[in-house]
Amino acid sequence: MITNTVLFAFIIGAVSGLVAAGALAWAKDLRLKMTWWKWLLTISWYLLLNFSVLLAFTMMGEGETGAGLKMLLFFGIITFILGVGLARLLWMGRKKPVSS
Amino acid sequence: MTDDVKNEEKKEGSGVSRRNFLKISGAAAAGVQIGAVAGLGLAAGKDPATHTGWQHLGDNTQFVDRQSLQMKGLPYQEVGPVRRPEEVESPFGRQRLMMKSMMRGGMGPKPERSRRSGPFRMTMPPADSFAEPLAGFYKEHPDIYELDKVRLESIMPKKREDEAKYGDYYTLINAWSASWMAGQPIKDPPEVSDFRIGNPMMGRGRKIREAIPFKSPELAAELIKKVAHHFGATMVGITRLKQEWCYNHGLRGVKDKGPYEVPKHWEYVIAFGVPHQWEQVQSNPNCGTSVDAYSRATIAARRLETFIKSLGYPARRHSPMDGYDLIAVPILVDAGLGQQGRHGIIITPETGSNFRAAFVTTNLPMKIDKPIDFGVNDFCKTCKICAEICPSASISFEKTNEKITTRGYRHWEINQASCFNFWMQSMGGMGCRLCLIACPYSRKNNWAHAMARVVDGHDPTGLVNKGLTWMQKTFFKTPEAAEYLPPPDGRFANFREPPDWLTVGKYLDMKVLKPTKGE
Ligand code: SF4
Ligand code: SF4
Repeated sequence: MITNTVLFAFIIGAVSGLVAAGALAWAKDLRLKMTWWKWLLTISWYLLLNFSVLLAFTMMGEGETGAGLKMLLFFGIITFILGVGLARLLWMGRKKPVSS
Repeated sequence: MTDDVKNEEKKEGSGVSRRNFLKISGAAAAGVQIGAVAGLGLAAGKDPATHTGWQHLGDNTQFVDRQSLQMKGLPYQEVGPVRRPEEVESPFGRQRLMMKSMMRGGMGPKPERSRRSGPFRMTMPPADSFAEPLAGFYKEHPDIYELDKVRLESIMPKKREDEAKYGDYYTLINAWSASWMAGQPIKDPPEVSDFRIGNPMMGRGRKIREAIPFKSPELAAELIKKVAHHFGATMVGITRLKQEWCYNHGLRGVKDKGPYEVPKHWEYVIAFGVPHQWEQVQSNPNCGTSVDAYSRATIAARRLETFIKSLGYPARRHSPMDGYDLIAVPILVDAGLGQQGRHGIIITPETGSNFRAAFVTTNLPMKIDKPIDFGVNDFCKTCKICAEICPSASISFEKTNEKITTRGYRHWEINQASCFNFWMQSMGGMGCRLCLIACPYSRKNNWAHAMARVVDGHDPTGLVNKGLTWMQKTFFKTPEAAEYLPPPDGRFANFREPPDWLTVGKYLDMKVLKPTKGE
């Protein structure tokens, strides 16, 4: 069991690293003016997204499929609304493109 | 020379170069990783979960640190004269006294057996025609007389009809339940049985040896807990035995079932228990049983009794299948295994209400545990799920237990007579256990439930408590209380559908009738 946990942690760690690198690349590409608190909000939102999915699927795994789907819907809507709010906030501080 | 190399050289001139920085941090990271891998290897080597076939018999099952939960003050309030429980107060005791009076006493009307009316029927004699203490008890509690009368005259004949009609539907749960039966009654009084050791099948065994002293009570407690876990106990605690937690009648191994003095050598009590099988327990009340956990707790009790006796100390087991001379819940509370819930039974931090207890009384000096508080009292104030779901309306809806007093103590108490009447209506392995499994604390130990328990335990505002109760009631579909009743009022519903291995239709080539409401 512990071996699986270690393997899982390694994979999740590697994937999280890739996600972080990807997020940096996106922020540069989209010319977002990221500050520490914007990163904090983005990471919190991403954790909420993960939490919602994990919770719903844990319930489904327990045999509580109905409860899992309801939770996915409930937390999914909350995550979506917060995600839209966050995107607008990040968009507001975009740098103007440099004209050549 | 390229620009990049020039830049690199410039940086080298101004302090640590990027290359050097990467080299140092890479080496440090490798060191940290090797340290972490070593730690993980150590943990992997120690992890009792790797003991194939014995995963559940290590002390890793009692994973909540109880020291941090120790309660200040007493877990229950003394509000009047304290006394020991009497036989007539328990539905089982009354049933025995009733039957004894009716069958052997020659009092009141005889049981009626009518071939034409089908099932075996009995008529309850008037309350004052019973022998004492039953007559006096019924005079004082006419409501309980009525409940016992309904059970005898209506519920039991209807149960026999239901069994004839739907019994086959419950073939697998009945087989599963029967397979766990393992009773081994105690045949001698404490002054004999507690001091003798040996195979009970081969006489009374031999006298126990002289007591071997332990190095300290702390070490005695440590060893006893360790072996109790290995004998199958999921959780273990130790306390001193209070007289008022011992029945005042029916001492096992004694012919006279009347009052008795609590034996002097019952100084300490080791309290322990196990949960029910987690899939089966969800399909209560009609596709469940108590016997799986009863059996495991009982076998652990027999082993622990023998272990203690082997070291020269007298010991007596008190267990679901071999009988109790004491009541369980207050001892479990005293021993720090959990708190009492609204449904009257114990709630442990590890398995919630899914816990069946056994005990060993002894005079082996051991360090005792303290009662714990992990927020059950506050949670029960708002939750009330057990009261809402109870098919016999036996659980109080009061906000607190302030108005409930039993034998001098204030604590939650259900209406045992109406609860027992529902047991007599249910199918499967008899009983109900619905409040046990509907309780939100009774969940497996995955991250979601573990997190909920920890967060709730540390929230002084009560918001988490309200949120969790709301989630339980909103997201989880559960049959209404009346649906658990027999047809035509209900449909013999279960909290959750039984697992496939208890589903007759999947495995057995037989025709069964599924109970339906209104039939
Ligand atoms: S065991 Fe069943 S009938 Fe008895 S109190 Fe609990 S839910 Fe009610
Ligand atoms: S179901 Fe709720 S009210 Fe009942 S014992 Fe459990 S926590 Fe308390």
